[in-house]
Amino acid sequence: MAEQPSLIKNIIKKGIIGLIVGGVLVGVAKALTFPPVFQVMFFSYAILGAAVFILLDAPSIKPIGGLKAIVALVAFYAVLSGAYIGGATFLPQYDPEDEKGKIEKLLKAKRAASEQGKAEELLARAKALSEKADAIMARLQTVGGVAEAPAGADGAKAAGAPAGGDLVALGKEQWNLQECYNCHKLFGEGGKKRGPEMDNIGNLMKPDELKQKVMDPQTWMAEGFEKEYEKKKMPNKYKELMEEKEVDALVAFLSSLKNTAVNTPKPIKKK
Amino acid sequence: MKTWQRSLLVLLGLMALCGTAAYAQVPNPPATEFPYTGNRMAVWIVAQLHILFAAFILGAPIFVVISEWLGYRKQDPRYDRLAKEVMKVTVILYSMTALTGGLFIFVLLATYAQFTTWLINHFFLIFAVIYPLLFIGETIVLYLYFYTWDSWKGEKKGRHIALGVLLNLIGTITLFVIDGPTSFMNTPSKAVEGISLVDFIQTASLWEKVFNYSWMPMNLHRLVGNVTFGGFITGLIAAYMYMGAKNDNERSYYDWMGFVGNLIGVGALLFLPFMGYLLAYELCDYDASICPYMMADQLSMFFEMQGAMVGLIFLASNYYIWLSMKRIEGVERVRMSALTMLVMIALPFVMTYAWTIFPVPDPTSLGVLLPLVLAPVILGKVIPPLGRITVSSRTFIKVGFLMVVVGNAIWMTPHGFVATQALATEHLELPSDWGFLALMPAKNSAAFTLVFVTVVNYILYNRAIRQGTIVWGKIDFVSQFVLIFLAFSAIWTMGLMGAVRSLLRKYFHTYNLMPDFTAESFTPTLSYSAWWITAITLAFYIIVSFAIVVTLRVSEGKAHAPEAKPIPAGAE
Repeated sequence: MAEQPSLIKNIIKKGIIGLIVGGVLVGVAKALTFPPVFQVMFFSYAILGAAVFILLDAPSIKPIGGLKAIVALVAFYAVLSGAYIGGATFLPQYDPEDEKGKIEKLLKAKRAASEQGKAEELLARAKALSEKADAIMARLQTVGGVAEAPAGADGAKAAGAPAGGDLVALGKEQWNLQECYNCHKLFGEGGKKRGPEMDNIGNLMKPDELKQKVMDPQTWMAEGFEKEYEKKKMPNKYKELMEEKEVDALVAFLSSLKNTAVNTPKPIKKK
Repeated sequence: MKTWQRSLLVLLGLMALCGTAAYAQVPNPPATEFPYTGNRMAVWIVAQLHILFAAFILGAPIFVVISEWLGYRKQDPRYDRLAKEVMKVTVILYSMTALTGGLFIFVLLATYAQFTTWLINHFFLIFAVIYPLLFIGETIVLYLYFYTWDSWKGEKKGRHIALGVLLNLIGTITLFVIDGPTSFMNTPSKAVEGISLVDFIQTASLWEKVFNYSWMPMNLHRLVGNVTFGGFITGLIAAYMYMGAKNDNERSYYDWMGFVGNLIGVGALLFLPFMGYLLAYELCDYDASICPYMMADQLSMFFEMQGAMVGLIFLASNYYIWLSMKRIEGVERVRMSALTMLVMIALPFVMTYAWTIFPVPDPTSLGVLLPLVLAPVILGKVIPPLGRITVSSRTFIKVGFLMVVVGNAIWMTPHGFVATQALATEHLELPSDWGFLALMPAKNSAAFTLVFVTVVNYILYNRAIRQGTIVWGKIDFVSQFVLIFLAFSAIWTMGLMGAVRSLLRKYFHTYNLMPDFTAESFTPTLSYSAWWITAITLAFYIIVSFAIVVTLRVSEGKAHAPEAKPIPAGAE
């Protein structure tokens, strides 16, 4: 389209412009209180722009064929693969370990109710009974003495059972497991304005009303959230996904939220 | 303990022993456990490969028949040759689609037998009758279409094109049918008031299950995606053949073929961001908790990577236009309205503001968008001196590239550089005043800018070929690497977004309905996924490259109608 400058000159010229633009962007971003990670991002966009303009004015390359072309292709694929894997690895990574424990807890009840869960439970019981029988047989062989109740799996299970008491703590766990924080702000954290802030909900709704809302989100609407209510933003799925006792725990936790300093919107009965 | 109590305990113990032994006699096969990859990844690999082959064999025939029709209408043998060459590769890849499809079912049955049986039972009519019949029908028509190519010419060409249309019709119906169970896994039909989801699904009709929230958006997204994919693979075929061309005739033909493949790929690509948006919108509408999982939490960085990939694809496709224009003699004379350039610059900023006030799907925003886009034409006519202010094509395209970089930058700006909002701190998040850069209005305007620049660049190209002469075969050799890059990146992005769609089911096989109790039901890291997506892309590339070499290089020696002479571009 026009005369082509040499590659070196092209790189130097566009590179300098890219660095200057990048520097200006960093300066502006700093002045506007963008965190350093965003300043680096803006700088990299400037460098990307410079790279694009270097490519636009780069001199043409001559056709290659045969073995040279094959080698060039393989190298090109290697570079692309490396760049995409490298790019994906460079970005922040979600730690699956954070999720594994959550999933285990969420699916515990369903797993127990499933065919697979029942089979696993049956096997565990059979194993425990088998161990008991072995122990008794061994005692019978020794003859005499008062046989003591063997310490079996039931005993271990009883010892390992969760202390039932703190319903509010269990409810808080449900809050996290069901990821309510994605839509509702609480203790100043979470929420993307999809749902109301919850810090004072315990003063505005009774436990049975809260339960009603969780089980059927269309029964209540938060004042100022008419659009979200109309669009049924709160999923109507918790009655399917949660056990009754889990809902009760969540309700107990929500009922305990009585911070009057936070302006939780007024609930309006709809159904 | 008394004797009778001891005896009872012994009896129970013996019963338990016998029970265990009896349980062990049940002829259950040993559980399948894929070494190294694990079961989920094994299914992922086979499913993704199957989808890539299927996407090509469904997408390629759409433009094959269009190309054949263009050749017939324009009496230009190049279109017919292009169509036939792509069809040759399609036929080979068709068998790979069937092979990987069968493998997919076997692997699925071996690893997730309970779920697979459950799904097949729910869609029995589809899996046992409709889908096989469609596949058989498609196979017959495909081979008939391919093997009658040379015999059904001249007066019979119309009949052959009609057969091609029928092939596409069957292919599209097949896609829509199989999307039923696939989309159902993401968004199972919602229960009616007062009935639980499990009970409702047990009694729901097949149509109720197929016609779920994400079915039609997925159909449209895949249909357009397949055409894009087919176009870019055609570009890949052309690039390979161009690199191996022995004379100018071949070079000019494959240069032309690459251009057409890219044109079709880019043409469909323009609609793809909006189809993807529609699918995401419906998923969020189905269950609002899907949205934060996608955009703010576990999968947020997958979308960051998607932004990078889409940005690179748009940059590369516009770079190809730039290289294509460089081979047009007389392109220096081509100019473009300065008003259009101003609109191009203003677009992302004005539309971010407009879509913030009138969020999609509020049609009021069209009241801003349409006048803005049409402003250069309207103002040019109302105030002619304004219309006469022009800039050179070179300047115009360079400003366009600047706006593509700006569009990419907006698209890729996240709310925070964190993999989950739980880890967000003010040192990693946008300042609150600039939070809008991470919201949908900004992302939509960025996508619209990329599309607008690309469309305007093609308008400029069209103006250039009317005023100048294309010298086919003389394109900068780097363009062939651009074509290869586009195909590779399109496949990689398909793999990435396919993973995202599957992962959206979270720890369910079928969302909220059929839990996945295996230890692998967690969200994998982006890095881990990227390794496998790259491996799958390379495996697909090796097979496609082999198919291209086997089908086309072998017939290289055959004579073709000469197309090498530089021709006035506007003449045909």
